[in-house]
Amino acid sequence: MIRIRQKIFMTAFLLGLIGIAPSVMANPAAEPVSQAIQEKPFAEARVALQISDADGPRQQLVLNVASNLIKFYGADKVDVEVVAFGPGLRLLFKDNALGDQIQSLAAEGVRFSACANTITAMSKKLGYEPELNPEARIVPAGIVRLVQLNKAGFFVSRP
Amino acid sequence: MNNNIRILPFAVSKKILLAGVCGGLLIAAPNAFSANWIMLQGTEKPGIAPPVKLWGFIQPTYQKDFSSSYNGKYVPPKLIGPNLDTQSSFNIMRARIGVRGAPFFLDDKVNYFIMTDFGDNSLTDGGRYGSYRPVVTDASVTLNYIKGARVRLGLFKYPGAEEGLQGIGSLNYINYTDVTNQLLLERFPDAGDKNIPPQTIPDADMNAFSNPATGFRDVGVQVFDAFDVGKWEHTYAAMLGNGSGVRMTDGNASKDVYLYWSSAYLFDKKNKGPMSPSVKMFSWYQSGKRTNAYNTAQEQDRKRYGAGVTYLKKPYRVTAEYMWGKGMIYQGSNNPQTLFNDFKANGGYVEAGWFIPSTKWELDLRYDRYQRNVDLPTQTRFSTWTAGVQYHFTPKTRVTLDYAMRHYSADAVAQNNQLLDVGGRLALQVTAVF
Repeated sequence: MIRIRQKIFMTAFLLGLIGIAPSVMANPAAEPVSQAIQEKPFAEARVALQISDADGPRQQLVLNVASNLIKFYGADKVDVEVVAFGPGLRLLFKDNALGDQIQSLAAEGVRFSACANTITAMSKKLGYEPELNPEARIVPAGIVRLVQLNKAGFFVSRP
Repeated sequence: MNNNIRILPFAVSKKILLAGVCGGLLIAAPNAFSANWIMLQGTEKPGIAPPVKLWGFIQPTYQKDFSSSYNGKYVPPKLIGPNLDTQSSFNIMRARIGVRGAPFFLDDKVNYFIMTDFGDNSLTDGGRYGSYRPVVTDASVTLNYIKGARVRLGLFKYPGAEEGLQGIGSLNYINYTDVTNQLLLERFPDAGDKNIPPQTIPDADMNAFSNPATGFRDVGVQVFDAFDVGKWEHTYAAMLGNGSGVRMTDGNASKDVYLYWSSAYLFDKKNKGPMSPSVKMFSWYQSGKRTNAYNTAQEQDRKRYGAGVTYLKKPYRVTAEYMWGKGMIYQGSNNPQTLFNDFKANGGYVEAGWFIPSTKWELDLRYDRYQRNVDLPTQTRFSTWTAGVQYHFTPKTRVTLDYAMRHYSADAVAQNNQLLDVGGRLALQVTAVF
Protein backbone atom coordinates (compact mmCIF):
# COMPACT_ATOMS: atom_id res chain seq x y z
CA MET A 1 0.00 0.00 0.00
CA ILE A 2 2.83 2.31 0.97
CA ARG A 3 4.61 1.43 -2.28
CA ILE A 4 1.52 2.32 -4.32
CA ARG A 5 1.17 5.61 -2.46
CA GLN A 6 4.85 6.35 -3.10
CA LYS A 7 4.40 5.65 -6.81
CA ILE A 8 1.29 7.85 -6.99
CA PHE A 9 3.18 10.61 -5.17
CA MET A 10 6.19 10.32 -7.47
CA THR A 11 3.98 10.28 -10.57
CA ALA A 12 2.07 13.32 -9.37
CA PHE A 13 5.32 15.08 -8.52
CA LEU A 14 6.80 14.40 -11.97
CA LEU A 15 3.58 15.39 -13.75
CA GLY A 16 3.52 18.53 -11.66
CA LEU A 17 7.07 19.33 -12.70
CA ILE A 18 6.24 18.78 -16.34
CA GLY A 19 3.11 20.89 -16.06
CA ILE A 20 4.73 23.67 -14.10
CA ALA A 21 8.06 23.87 -15.84
CA PRO A 22 7.02 25.79 -18.96
CA SER A 23 5.13 28.41 -17.03
CA VAL A 24 7.80 29.11 -14.38
CA MET A 25 10.34 31.61 -15.61
CA ALA A 26 13.68 32.01 -13.95
CA ASN A 27 13.58 35.83 -13.73
CA PRO A 28 11.20 37.64 -11.36
CA ALA A 29 8.05 39.36 -12.63
CA ALA A 30 8.13 43.08 -13.28
CA GLU A 31 6.37 45.40 -10.88
CA PRO A 32 3.09 46.80 -12.15
CA VAL A 33 3.55 50.15 -13.90
CA SER A 34 1.76 52.02 -11.08
CA GLN A 35 4.38 50.70 -8.62
CA ALA A 36 7.37 50.97 -10.93
CA ILE A 37 6.93 54.69 -11.46
CA GLN A 38 7.19 55.26 -7.71
CA GLU A 39 10.91 54.43 -8.00
CA LYS A 40 11.50 57.72 -9.79
CA PRO A 41 9.25 60.25 -8.06
CA PHE A 42 11.27 63.22 -9.31
CA ALA A 43 11.35 62.14 -12.94
CA GLU A 44 10.90 65.04 -15.39
CA ALA A 45 10.60 62.64 -18.29
CA ARG A 46 9.42 59.06 -18.63
CA VAL A 47 10.49 57.11 -21.71
CA ALA A 48 9.69 53.55 -22.80
CA LEU A 49 12.09 52.11 -25.41
CA GLN A 50 10.86 49.31 -27.62
CA ILE A 51 13.28 46.69 -28.91
CA SER A 52 11.68 44.12 -31.19
CA ASP A 53 14.56 43.55 -33.65
CA ALA A 54 17.31 40.98 -33.26
CA ASP A 55 20.13 42.83 -34.97
CA GLY A 56 23.10 44.01 -32.96
CA PRO A 57 23.25 47.66 -34.14
CA ARG A 58 19.58 48.15 -33.18
CA GLN A 59 20.25 46.68 -29.74
CA GLN A 60 23.23 48.95 -29.30
CA LEU A 61 21.17 51.96 -30.41
CA VAL A 62 18.47 51.30 -27.81
CA LEU A 63 21.07 51.10 -25.03
CA ASN A 64 22.81 54.24 -26.30
CA VAL A 65 19.51 56.12 -26.30
CA ALA A 66 18.86 55.03 -22.70
CA SER A 67 22.37 56.13 -21.78
CA ASN A 68 21.96 59.51 -23.49
CA LEU A 69 18.67 60.13 -21.69
CA ILE A 70 20.40 59.58 -18.37
CA LYS A 71 23.30 61.79 -19.39
CA PHE A 72 20.92 64.61 -20.36
CA TYR A 73 18.45 64.49 -17.48
CA GLY A 74 20.45 62.77 -14.75
CA ALA A 75 19.60 59.36 -13.32
CA ASP A 76 17.01 60.69 -10.83
CA LYS A 77 15.25 62.93 -13.33
CA VAL A 78 14.37 60.43 -16.01
CA ASP A 79 12.49 57.13 -15.83
CA VAL A 80 13.50 54.73 -18.59
CA GLU A 81 12.13 51.27 -19.27
CA VAL A 82 13.35 49.08 -22.13
CA VAL A 83 10.68 46.62 -23.27
CA ALA A 84 11.94 43.65 -25.28
CA PHE A 85 9.69 41.36 -27.25
CA GLY A 86 9.74 39.27 -30.42
CA PRO A 87 13.26 38.89 -31.87
CA GLY A 88 14.24 41.87 -29.71
CA LEU A 89 14.25 39.62 -26.65
CA ARG A 90 17.73 38.61 -27.82
CA LEU A 91 18.98 41.80 -26.14
CA LEU A 92 18.12 40.28 -22.77
CA PHE A 93 19.68 36.86 -23.35
CA LYS A 94 22.08 36.05 -20.55
CA ASP A 95 25.20 35.77 -22.71
CA ASN A 96 24.51 38.84 -24.86
CA ALA A 97 27.76 40.72 -25.49
CA LEU A 98 26.04 43.94 -24.35
CA GLY A 99 25.38 42.46 -20.90
CA ASP A 100 27.86 44.77 -19.14
CA GLN A 101 26.15 47.82 -20.61
CA ILE A 102 22.75 46.52 -19.50
CA GLN A 103 24.10 46.01 -16.00
CA SER A 104 25.51 49.52 -15.74
CA LEU A 105 22.25 51.04 -17.06
CA ALA A 106 20.25 48.97 -14.57
CA ALA A 107 22.50 50.31 -11.83
CA GLU A 108 21.33 53.80 -12.86
CA GLY A 109 17.68 52.81 -12.59
CA VAL A 110 16.84 51.70 -16.15
CA ARG A 111 14.33 48.81 -16.09
CA PHE A 112 14.42 45.94 -18.58
CA SER A 113 11.19 44.09 -19.30
CA ALA A 114 11.02 40.77 -21.12
CA CYS A 115 7.85 39.56 -22.83
CA ALA A 116 6.56 36.26 -21.41
CA ASN A 117 4.72 35.42 -24.64
CA THR A 118 8.01 35.67 -26.52
CA ILE A 119 9.82 33.56 -23.94
CA THR A 120 7.17 30.85 -24.29
CA ALA A 121 7.33 30.92 -28.09
CA MET A 122 11.12 30.82 -28.09
CA SER A 123 11.15 27.99 -25.55
CA LYS A 124 9.03 25.90 -27.91
CA LYS A 125 11.45 26.49 -30.79
CA LEU A 126 14.56 25.90 -28.72
CA GLY A 127 13.29 23.02 -26.63
CA TYR A 128 14.39 24.85 -23.49
CA GLU A 129 13.78 28.24 -21.94
CA PRO A 130 16.37 30.84 -22.91
CA GLU A 131 18.43 32.10 -20.00
CA LEU A 132 17.94 35.82 -19.47
CA ASN A 133 20.06 38.62 -18.08
CA PRO A 134 19.49 38.78 -14.32
CA GLU A 135 18.33 42.40 -14.73
CA ALA A 136 15.38 41.32 -16.91
CA ARG A 137 11.91 41.35 -15.36
CA ILE A 138 9.07 39.37 -16.88
CA VAL A 139 5.93 41.10 -18.18
CA PRO A 140 2.98 39.09 -19.55
CA ALA A 141 3.13 40.77 -22.96
CA GLY A 142 5.64 43.30 -24.24
CA ILE A 143 3.16 45.26 -26.32
CA VAL A 144 0.67 45.45 -23.43
CA ARG A 145 3.44 46.75 -21.18
CA LEU A 146 4.12 49.52 -23.68
CA VAL A 147 0.41 50.45 -23.73
CA GLN A 148 0.37 50.55 -19.94
CA LEU A 149 3.50 52.66 -19.81
CA ASN A 150 2.04 55.00 -22.40
CA LYS A 151 -1.16 55.40 -20.38
CA ALA A 152 0.99 56.23 -17.34
CA GLY A 153 2.58 59.11 -19.24
CA PHE A 154 5.60 57.44 -20.83
CA PHE A 155 6.81 58.60 -24.22
CA VAL A 156 7.08 55.39 -26.24
CA SER A 157 9.94 55.27 -28.73
CA ARG A 158 11.32 52.63 -31.05
CA PRO A 159 14.85 53.79 -31.87
CA MET B 1 57.43 36.43 13.07
CA ASN B 2 54.76 33.80 12.64
CA ASN B 3 56.31 30.46 13.45
CA ASN B 4 53.20 28.61 12.29
CA ILE B 5 54.03 29.28 8.67
CA ARG B 6 55.40 26.14 7.10
CA ILE B 7 56.91 25.81 3.71
CA LEU B 8 54.93 23.29 1.72
CA PRO B 9 56.76 20.59 -0.17
CA PHE B 10 57.38 21.68 -3.76
CA ALA B 11 55.11 19.02 -5.26
CA VAL B 12 52.22 19.99 -2.97
CA SER B 13 52.64 23.72 -3.51
CA LYS B 14 52.81 23.11 -7.27
CA LYS B 15 49.52 21.23 -7.12
CA ILE B 16 47.91 24.00 -5.07
CA LEU B 17 49.20 26.58 -7.53
CA LEU B 18 47.89 24.55 -10.44
CA ALA B 19 44.53 24.08 -8.74
CA GLY B 20 44.41 27.80 -8.03
CA VAL B 21 45.15 28.66 -11.65
CA CYS B 22 42.58 26.15 -12.94
CA GLY B 23 40.02 27.33 -10.39
CA GLY B 24 40.65 30.90 -11.37
CA LEU B 25 40.15 30.01 -15.01
CA LEU B 26 36.91 28.19 -14.31
CA ILE B 27 35.53 31.05 -12.24
CA ALA B 28 36.58 33.55 -14.87
CA ALA B 29 33.95 34.46 -17.41
CA PRO B 30 34.85 32.75 -20.71
CA ASN B 31 33.51 35.49 -22.96
CA ALA B 32 36.39 37.82 -23.55
CA PHE B 33 36.93 39.11 -27.07
CA SER B 34 39.34 41.97 -26.90
CA ALA B 35 42.54 42.23 -29.01
CA ASN B 36 42.53 38.51 -29.33
CA TRP B 37 42.87 37.02 -32.82
CA ILE B 38 41.91 33.51 -31.75
CA MET B 39 38.59 34.80 -30.43
CA LEU B 40 38.01 37.61 -32.92
CA GLN B 41 38.43 35.31 -35.90
CA GLY B 42 36.86 32.20 -34.40
CA THR B 43 33.74 33.50 -32.69
CA GLU B 44 30.91 35.95 -33.06
CA LYS B 45 29.69 38.24 -30.30
CA PRO B 46 26.81 36.41 -28.60
CA GLY B 47 23.40 38.02 -28.78
CA ILE B 48 24.29 40.59 -31.41
CA ALA B 49 25.91 38.68 -34.29
CA PRO B 50 23.95 38.86 -37.55
CA PRO B 51 23.09 35.66 -39.42
CA VAL B 52 25.04 36.90 -42.47
CA LYS B 53 27.65 39.62 -42.42
CA LEU B 54 29.20 40.34 -45.79
CA TRP B 55 32.72 41.73 -45.49
CA GLY B 56 36.12 41.81 -47.10
CA PHE B 57 38.95 44.05 -48.20
CA ILE B 58 40.90 45.11 -51.27
CA GLN B 59 44.59 46.04 -51.41
CA PRO B 60 45.78 47.60 -54.67
CA THR B 61 49.57 47.79 -54.41
CA TYR B 62 52.54 49.23 -56.26
CA GLN B 63 56.10 48.12 -55.56
CA LYS B 64 59.46 49.18 -56.95
CA ASP B 65 62.69 47.36 -56.20
CA PHE B 66 66.04 49.20 -56.39
CA SER B 67 68.36 46.19 -56.29
CA SER B 68 71.08 45.74 -58.89
CA SER B 69 71.60 42.65 -60.95
CA TYR B 70 74.60 40.35 -60.63
CA ASN B 71 76.08 39.62 -64.05
CA GLY B 72 72.85 40.94 -65.57
CA LYS B 73 70.67 38.42 -63.79
CA TYR B 74 68.27 38.59 -60.90
CA VAL B 75 67.17 36.40 -57.98
CA PRO B 76 63.72 36.55 -56.27
CA PRO B 77 64.58 39.12 -53.53
CA LYS B 78 65.30 41.62 -56.32
CA LEU B 79 61.97 41.08 -58.07
CA ILE B 80 58.34 41.84 -57.25
CA GLY B 81 56.16 38.91 -56.25
CA PRO B 82 54.19 36.86 -56.69
CA ASN B 83 55.18 36.60 -60.37
CA LEU B 84 58.82 37.63 -59.79
CA ASP B 85 59.07 38.94 -63.35
CA THR B 86 60.24 42.51 -63.01
CA GLN B 87 61.40 45.17 -60.55
CA SER B 88 58.26 47.30 -60.56
CA SER B 89 54.67 46.26 -60.66
CA PHE B 90 51.10 47.20 -59.91
CA ASN B 91 49.18 44.38 -58.30
CA ILE B 92 46.03 43.54 -56.37
CA MET B 93 47.81 41.99 -53.42
CA ARG B 94 44.59 40.85 -51.76
CA ALA B 95 40.95 41.02 -52.81
CA ARG B 96 38.99 39.05 -50.29
CA ILE B 97 35.30 38.72 -49.82
CA GLY B 98 33.47 36.57 -47.33
CA VAL B 99 30.57 36.12 -44.99
CA ARG B 100 30.45 35.27 -41.32
CA GLY B 101 27.86 35.20 -38.58
CA ALA B 102 25.56 33.15 -36.39
CA PRO B 103 22.95 31.51 -38.62
CA PHE B 104 20.29 30.86 -35.97
CA PHE B 105 19.66 33.95 -33.85
CA LEU B 106 17.85 32.14 -31.02
CA ASP B 107 20.84 29.90 -30.40
CA ASP B 108 23.88 31.74 -31.66
CA LYS B 109 26.34 29.26 -30.21
CA VAL B 110 26.99 28.10 -33.76
CA ASN B 111 29.18 30.52 -35.75
CA TYR B 112 30.61 30.29 -39.24
CA PHE B 113 33.26 32.06 -41.33
CA ILE B 114 33.81 31.75 -45.09
CA MET B 115 36.24 33.82 -47.16
CA THR B 116 37.68 33.74 -50.67
CA ASP B 117 40.67 35.49 -52.19
CA PHE B 118 40.65 36.90 -55.72
CA GLY B 119 43.90 38.86 -55.37
CA ASP B 120 47.26 37.89 -56.84
CA ASN B 121 49.54 36.49 -54.16
CA SER B 122 51.24 33.33 -52.96
CA LEU B 123 47.85 31.73 -52.38
CA THR B 124 46.42 32.33 -55.82
CA ASP B 125 49.34 32.72 -58.22
CA GLY B 126 50.49 29.42 -59.70
CA GLY B 127 53.85 30.80 -60.83
CA ARG B 128 55.80 29.40 -63.76
CA TYR B 129 54.37 25.89 -63.52
CA GLY B 130 50.80 26.67 -62.58
CA SER B 131 48.15 29.29 -63.19
CA TYR B 132 46.16 31.93 -61.31
CA ARG B 133 43.18 30.54 -59.41
CA PRO B 134 41.09 32.17 -56.68
CA VAL B 135 41.03 30.17 -53.45
CA VAL B 136 38.78 29.61 -50.47
CA THR B 137 40.95 30.90 -47.63
CA ASP B 138 38.57 30.19 -44.76
CA ALA B 139 35.60 27.88 -44.30
CA SER B 140 34.97 27.08 -40.67
CA VAL B 141 32.25 26.41 -38.13
CA THR B 142 32.64 27.17 -34.43
CA LEU B 143 30.58 25.39 -31.78
CA ASN B 144 30.41 27.37 -28.54
CA TYR B 145 28.48 24.87 -26.44
CA ILE B 146 31.14 23.86 -23.92
CA LYS B 147 32.34 26.58 -21.58
CA GLY B 148 36.10 26.71 -21.70
CA ALA B 149 36.32 24.43 -24.74
CA ARG B 150 34.95 26.02 -27.88
CA VAL B 151 35.48 23.89 -30.97
CA ARG B 152 36.35 25.27 -34.41
CA LEU B 153 36.36 22.94 -37.40
CA GLY B 154 37.31 23.45 -41.02
CA LEU B 155 39.80 25.72 -42.79
CA PHE B 156 41.04 28.72 -40.83
CA LYS B 157 44.14 30.52 -39.54
CA TYR B 158 46.00 28.20 -37.22
CA PRO B 159 47.11 29.46 -33.79
CA GLY B 160 50.65 30.80 -34.13
CA ALA B 161 52.85 33.84 -34.47
CA GLU B 162 51.26 37.27 -34.23
CA GLU B 163 52.28 38.51 -37.69
CA GLY B 164 50.62 35.58 -39.42
CA LEU B 165 47.63 35.31 -37.14
CA GLN B 166 46.63 38.96 -37.00
CA GLY B 167 43.92 40.37 -39.24
CA ILE B 168 45.09 42.19 -42.37
CA GLY B 169 43.37 45.32 -41.08
CA SER B 170 45.98 45.39 -38.32
CA LEU B 171 49.00 44.49 -40.44
CA ASN B 172 50.85 47.79 -40.46
CA TYR B 173 53.34 47.01 -43.22
CA ILE B 174 52.82 45.96 -46.83
CA ASN B 175 55.29 43.07 -46.85
CA TYR B 176 55.83 40.47 -44.17
CA THR B 177 59.13 40.27 -42.34
CA ASP B 178 61.65 37.81 -43.81
CA VAL B 179 61.30 35.54 -40.79
CA THR B 180 57.54 35.28 -41.21
CA ASN B 181 57.69 35.06 -44.99
CA GLN B 182 60.38 32.38 -45.07
CA LEU B 183 60.04 30.45 -41.82
CA LEU B 184 56.25 30.45 -41.36
CA LEU B 185 54.55 31.08 -44.72
CA GLU B 186 54.90 27.51 -45.86
CA ARG B 187 55.14 26.60 -49.55
CA PHE B 188 54.32 23.22 -51.03
CA PRO B 189 56.24 22.10 -54.10
CA ASP B 190 54.66 19.85 -56.67
CA ALA B 191 56.63 17.02 -58.29
CA GLY B 192 56.69 19.00 -61.53
CA ASP B 193 58.17 22.18 -59.98
CA LYS B 194 61.85 22.65 -60.88
CA ASN B 195 64.53 25.00 -59.55
CA ILE B 196 65.03 28.14 -61.60
CA PRO B 197 68.50 29.74 -61.92
CA PRO B 198 68.92 33.57 -61.84
CA GLN B 199 67.10 35.22 -64.74
CA THR B 200 67.09 38.38 -66.79
CA ILE B 201 64.16 40.78 -66.65
CA PRO B 202 61.42 41.65 -67.59
CA ASP B 203 60.38 38.01 -68.04
CA ALA B 204 62.18 36.37 -65.12
CA ASP B 205 59.14 34.33 -64.01
CA MET B 206 60.93 32.98 -60.93
CA ASN B 207 58.00 31.78 -58.83
CA ALA B 208 58.52 28.02 -59.01
CA PHE B 209 55.84 26.91 -56.53
CA SER B 210 52.65 25.95 -58.33
CA ASN B 211 50.66 25.06 -55.20
CA PRO B 212 49.12 27.74 -53.00
CA ALA B 213 51.14 28.72 -49.90
CA THR B 214 49.54 28.16 -46.49
CA GLY B 215 48.40 31.71 -45.85
CA PHE B 216 49.00 30.67 -42.20
CA ARG B 217 45.97 28.40 -42.49
CA ASP B 218 45.19 24.73 -42.19
CA VAL B 219 42.24 22.34 -42.29
CA GLY B 220 41.55 20.72 -38.94
CA VAL B 221 39.92 21.03 -35.56
CA GLN B 222 40.80 23.50 -32.81
CA VAL B 223 39.73 23.60 -29.16
CA PHE B 224 40.11 27.03 -27.63
CA ASP B 225 38.72 29.69 -25.33
CA ALA B 226 39.57 32.89 -23.51
CA PHE B 227 39.18 33.60 -19.81
CA ASP B 228 38.91 36.89 -17.99
CA VAL B 229 40.66 37.11 -14.66
CA GLY B 230 40.27 40.68 -13.48
CA LYS B 231 41.92 42.86 -16.09
CA TRP B 232 43.81 39.88 -17.52
CA GLU B 233 42.61 37.81 -20.43
CA HIS B 234 44.13 34.36 -20.88
CA THR B 235 43.66 32.43 -24.11
CA TYR B 236 44.57 28.94 -25.15
CA ALA B 237 44.21 27.01 -28.38
CA ALA B 238 45.13 23.46 -29.35
CA MET B 239 44.68 22.30 -32.91
CA LEU B 240 45.16 19.22 -35.04
CA GLY B 241 45.41 19.82 -38.77
CA ASN B 242 46.40 18.31 -42.08
CA GLY B 243 49.47 20.50 -42.41
CA SER B 244 48.53 21.25 -46.02
CA GLY B 245 47.49 24.90 -45.87
CA VAL B 246 44.49 25.92 -47.93
CA ARG B 247 44.75 22.83 -50.12
CA MET B 248 41.87 20.49 -49.45
CA THR B 249 44.11 17.44 -49.37
CA ASP B 250 46.25 15.83 -46.69
CA GLY B 251 49.82 15.12 -47.74
CA ASN B 252 50.35 12.18 -45.39
CA ALA B 253 48.89 10.20 -42.47
CA SER B 254 50.50 12.42 -39.81
CA LYS B 255 48.64 15.36 -38.37
CA ASP B 256 50.13 18.72 -37.46
CA VAL B 257 49.87 19.82 -33.83
CA TYR B 258 49.44 23.50 -32.98
CA LEU B 259 49.54 24.88 -29.42
CA TYR B 260 49.04 28.48 -28.35
CA TRP B 261 48.84 30.46 -25.14
CA SER B 262 48.49 34.19 -24.55
CA SER B 263 48.01 36.35 -21.48
CA ALA B 264 46.95 39.93 -22.05
CA TYR B 265 46.55 42.81 -19.64
CA LEU B 266 43.67 44.94 -20.86
CA PHE B 267 43.91 48.66 -20.12
CA ASP B 268 40.25 49.10 -21.02
CA LYS B 269 38.06 46.01 -20.99
CA LYS B 270 35.18 47.92 -22.59
CA ASN B 271 37.24 48.78 -25.65
CA LYS B 272 37.04 45.50 -27.49
CA GLY B 273 38.35 44.60 -30.93
CA PRO B 274 41.63 44.60 -32.80
CA MET B 275 42.66 48.02 -31.49
CA SER B 276 41.99 47.23 -27.85
CA PRO B 277 44.61 48.83 -25.62
CA SER B 278 46.54 46.00 -24.03
CA VAL B 279 49.85 44.28 -23.36
CA LYS B 280 49.86 40.72 -24.63
CA MET B 281 52.45 38.00 -24.10
CA PHE B 282 52.17 34.86 -26.16
CA SER B 283 53.94 31.69 -27.12
CA TRP B 284 53.18 28.99 -29.66
CA TYR B 285 54.39 25.66 -30.98
CA GLN B 286 53.79 23.70 -34.19
CA SER B 287 55.00 20.31 -35.29
CA GLY B 288 54.20 17.96 -38.12
CA LYS B 289 55.62 15.76 -40.83
CA ARG B 290 56.04 16.53 -44.51
CA THR B 291 56.36 14.12 -47.39
CA ASN B 292 58.96 14.80 -50.05
CA ALA B 293 57.06 15.83 -53.16
CA TYR B 294 59.85 14.40 -55.32
CA ASN B 295 60.19 11.10 -53.45
CA THR B 296 57.05 10.19 -51.55
CA ALA B 297 58.86 7.48 -49.57
CA GLN B 298 60.68 10.20 -47.58
CA GLU B 299 59.23 12.06 -44.60
CA GLN B 300 60.66 14.97 -42.65
CA ASP B 301 59.73 16.52 -39.27
CA ARG B 302 58.81 20.18 -39.40
CA LYS B 303 58.89 22.15 -36.14
CA ARG B 304 58.27 25.78 -35.43
CA TYR B 305 57.95 27.63 -32.12
CA GLY B 306 58.17 31.16 -30.85
CA ALA B 307 57.15 33.80 -28.36
CA GLY B 308 56.41 37.48 -28.40
CA VAL B 309 54.82 40.52 -26.86
CA THR B 310 52.54 43.26 -28.16
CA TYR B 311 51.81 46.63 -26.61
CA LEU B 312 49.10 48.95 -27.85
CA LYS B 313 47.98 52.09 -26.13
CA LYS B 314 47.50 55.02 -28.43
CA PRO B 315 49.53 56.86 -29.52
CA TYR B 316 52.09 54.05 -29.24
CA ARG B 317 52.33 50.48 -30.47
CA VAL B 318 55.25 48.08 -29.99
CA THR B 319 55.51 44.46 -31.11
CA ALA B 320 58.36 41.98 -30.75
CA GLU B 321 58.54 38.34 -31.72
CA TYR B 322 61.22 35.69 -31.98
CA MET B 323 60.86 32.24 -33.46
CA TRP B 324 62.79 29.11 -34.30
CA GLY B 325 62.34 26.34 -36.82
CA LYS B 326 63.78 22.98 -37.81
CA GLY B 327 63.05 21.05 -40.97
CA MET B 328 61.52 22.19 -44.26
CA ILE B 329 63.53 25.42 -44.25
CA TYR B 330 62.54 27.43 -47.31
CA GLN B 331 65.41 28.16 -49.73
CA GLY B 332 63.70 30.69 -51.98
CA SER B 333 60.77 30.99 -54.40
CA ASN B 334 62.96 29.68 -57.20
CA ASN B 335 64.12 26.57 -55.33
CA PRO B 336 61.25 24.13 -54.69
CA GLN B 337 63.52 21.10 -54.99
CA THR B 338 65.58 22.17 -51.96
CA LEU B 339 62.70 22.60 -49.52
CA PHE B 340 62.82 19.04 -48.17
CA ASN B 341 65.60 19.37 -45.56
CA ASP B 342 66.30 19.18 -41.83
CA PHE B 343 68.06 22.55 -41.59
CA LYS B 344 67.58 25.04 -38.76
CA ALA B 345 66.57 28.68 -38.86
CA ASN B 346 65.61 31.45 -36.48
CA GLY B 347 64.73 35.10 -36.46
CA GLY B 348 62.56 37.82 -35.11
CA TYR B 349 61.50 41.43 -35.34
CA VAL B 350 60.79 44.53 -33.31
CA GLU B 351 58.42 47.15 -34.63
CA ALA B 352 56.86 50.30 -33.28
CA GLY B 353 54.13 52.65 -34.39
CA TRP B 354 53.28 56.20 -33.42
CA PHE B 355 49.82 57.57 -34.12
CA ILE B 356 50.51 61.28 -34.43
CA PRO B 357 48.04 62.82 -31.95
CA SER B 358 45.06 64.74 -33.38
CA THR B 359 45.93 63.70 -36.94
CA LYS B 360 45.17 60.78 -39.24
CA TRP B 361 48.87 60.02 -39.70
CA GLU B 362 50.80 57.10 -38.31
CA LEU B 363 54.55 56.50 -38.44
CA ASP B 364 55.96 52.98 -38.34
CA LEU B 365 59.43 51.51 -38.00
CA ARG B 366 60.40 47.85 -38.05
CA TYR B 367 63.63 45.89 -37.80
CA ASP B 368 63.64 42.22 -38.65
CA ARG B 369 66.36 39.64 -38.96
CA TYR B 370 66.38 36.05 -40.08
CA GLN B 371 69.08 33.43 -40.50
CA ARG B 372 68.50 30.20 -42.26
CA ASN B 373 70.62 27.05 -42.64
CA VAL B 374 72.18 27.81 -39.27
CA ASP B 375 75.60 26.18 -38.73
CA LEU B 376 75.79 25.05 -42.35
CA PRO B 377 78.10 26.26 -45.13
CA THR B 378 75.00 27.72 -46.80
CA GLN B 379 74.05 29.86 -43.79
CA THR B 380 72.30 32.98 -44.99
CA ARG B 381 71.38 36.16 -43.10
CA PHE B 382 68.59 38.61 -43.86
CA SER B 383 68.15 41.88 -42.01
CA THR B 384 65.77 44.67 -42.94
CA TRP B 385 64.80 48.09 -41.66
CA THR B 386 61.37 49.17 -42.84
CA ALA B 387 60.18 52.74 -42.40
CA GLY B 388 56.51 53.39 -43.04
CA VAL B 389 53.91 56.08 -42.99
CA GLN B 390 50.17 55.53 -43.01
CA TYR B 391 47.31 57.92 -43.54
CA HIS B 392 43.96 56.73 -42.24
CA PHE B 393 41.19 58.25 -44.37
CA THR B 394 38.70 56.43 -42.15
CA PRO B 395 39.15 53.63 -39.61
CA LYS B 396 38.59 51.20 -42.50
CA THR B 397 40.47 52.88 -45.33
CA ARG B 398 44.15 53.76 -45.29
CA VAL B 399 47.11 54.32 -47.53
CA THR B 400 50.49 52.86 -46.57
CA LEU B 401 53.91 53.85 -47.88
CA ASP B 402 56.86 51.66 -46.88
CA TYR B 403 60.53 51.80 -47.73
CA ALA B 404 62.60 48.74 -46.84
CA MET B 405 66.41 48.81 -46.56
CA ARG B 406 67.69 45.26 -46.84
CA HIS B 407 71.06 43.75 -46.01
CA TYR B 408 71.39 40.14 -47.08
CA SER B 409 74.49 37.95 -47.00
CA ALA B 410 75.45 34.30 -47.30
CA ASP B 411 78.50 32.25 -46.31
CA ALA B 412 78.54 30.52 -49.70
CA VAL B 413 80.32 32.78 -52.20
CA ALA B 414 78.05 32.12 -55.16
CA GLN B 415 74.94 32.86 -53.17
CA ASN B 416 76.52 35.84 -51.47
CA ASN B 417 77.30 37.37 -54.86
CA GLN B 418 73.61 37.23 -55.71
CA LEU B 419 72.52 38.75 -52.40
CA LEU B 420 75.06 41.56 -51.94
CA ASP B 421 73.26 43.87 -54.33
CA VAL B 422 69.82 43.42 -52.81
CA GLY B 423 68.81 46.99 -52.10
CA GLY B 424 65.86 49.12 -51.16
CA ARG B 425 62.23 48.47 -51.95
CA LEU B 426 59.41 50.99 -52.13
CA ALA B 427 55.84 49.86 -51.62
CA LEU B 428 52.61 51.81 -51.77
CA GLN B 429 49.27 50.28 -50.90
CA VAL B 430 45.68 51.27 -50.29
CA THR B 431 43.67 49.08 -47.94
CA ALA B 432 39.90 49.38 -48.09
CA VAL B 433 37.91 47.21 -45.70
CA PHE B 434 34.17 46.92 -46.17
